[in-house]
Amino acid sequence: MAAASLPSALQSLANYRAHNTRVSQEVVEKGKLLLKAKSASKLGDDAWAFLEQLALAAIDVAKYEVADECLRLLAAKFPDSPRVDVLSGIRMEATQPPEIALKFYDELLEKDSSNAAICKRRISVLIRTGKVEQAVLELSEYLDTFYSDVEGWVELAELYSSCHQYTFATQALSHALLLAPQNPFYVLQFAETAYTADDIPLAVKMFMLCLDIVDKHTSEESIPTGVSIRAWYGVKLCCRALSGRSCSSASDTPLPKNLNLLDELATERILTAYSAAGKDNATIRELVLTWMGPSDRSGGRVHFVR
Amino acid sequence: MIGRLFLLIATLLVLHAAFSTYEHLSHLKSLGKPEGSLPYDIILEAIIGLTMGIFGASMNASPLKEVTWSSEMKTRSIDEMDARLGFANYVNRGRNFLS
Repeated sequence: MAAASLPSALQSLANYRAHNTRVSQEVVEKGKLLLKAKSASKLGDDAWAFLEQLALAAIDVAKYEVADECLRLLAAKFPDSPRVDVLSGIRMEATQPPEIALKFYDELLEKDSSNAAICKRRISVLIRTGKVEQAVLELSEYLDTFYSDVEGWVELAELYSSCHQYTFATQALSHALLLAPQNPFYVLQFAETAYTADDIPLAVKMFMLCLDIVDKHTSEESIPTGVSIRAWYGVKLCCRALSGRSCSSASDTPLPKNLNLLDELATERILTAYSAAGKDNATIRELVLTWMGPSDRSGGRVHFVR
Repeated sequence: MIGRLFLLIATLLVLHAAFSTYEHLSHLKSLGKPEGSLPYDIILEAIIGLTMGIFGASMNASPLKEVTWSSEMKTRSIDEMDARLGFANYVNRGRNFLS
């Protein structure tokens, strides 16, 4: 059993690495199998990335012996590596009080002030211990130096959102959009943050931009899934807000023309997504129809794709 | 399967045409007139081999992959984009109930 599942375990671990999935318990179980086999030569080039992944997962589920074993192997192979330093820092964060970890990171930064990963770990410790203002200051400084770090901009946006500073969050996300213009997830996050910041015209514009990016090559008759469904919900909410009250835009975005048509289209698209045949879908569809409201149910031009 | 069959036949045809050319040229050399032109059937055989090889290679090619950004983004999930592993927090409640 162990021999057959080794390559499949390696395969799924590589998949987790590629997709940033954080299933730490499973990674530790599979990784322990591989470690026991001790076939470092069979693992090949991926061995070190696998060890790093296993170490992080082990720290996540508090299996510190496994993490120490991986760290030992990595430190033996790469003696003065900044990546191994980051791992030892994370291991320290897990058991020592945060001040000791911060001191460790400061020492490393004194030796080499361009180590981006250590800056990020410092900021992470500050966020964890609740020093949000200092974290925001340091993160802004970090992003001044390393502008192209999309992860950093998204993290800054999350920090601002957690403090309810939604306009600053949208500003941070706009930098992320500049750096990754083809990514619909960040556009969706921008649209939702703008909606929370009460800038509805900007929100509806960005929801529609997100749909444009995602559904560029899909036909009209396809069923929306994933990001599109979330964006259509966003459009529906914005249309409701726009028709219910007069909305001013802090960013001076013009209102969309044909608001009624947009509303109908959003309704039709959302109902299409829930119109697949099946017992569960019927109850969900009833819920969605109730949420839509009475005026939208009997729209003459609304058609459902079965 | 047809693609591989075509490729095989095309390879055999081309090799046969090449061997026939060699034989023909050595025949001409032995006859003392080394400047003769190739007979038409060898040329025809080579061209047919080329055409069949083109068809076979096209049929044998692996299925086409998507190239647009939107198709690539359909394979990603929102959890991937929210992961932010550089800032991840590894000190969580897991230590209290998992180990």
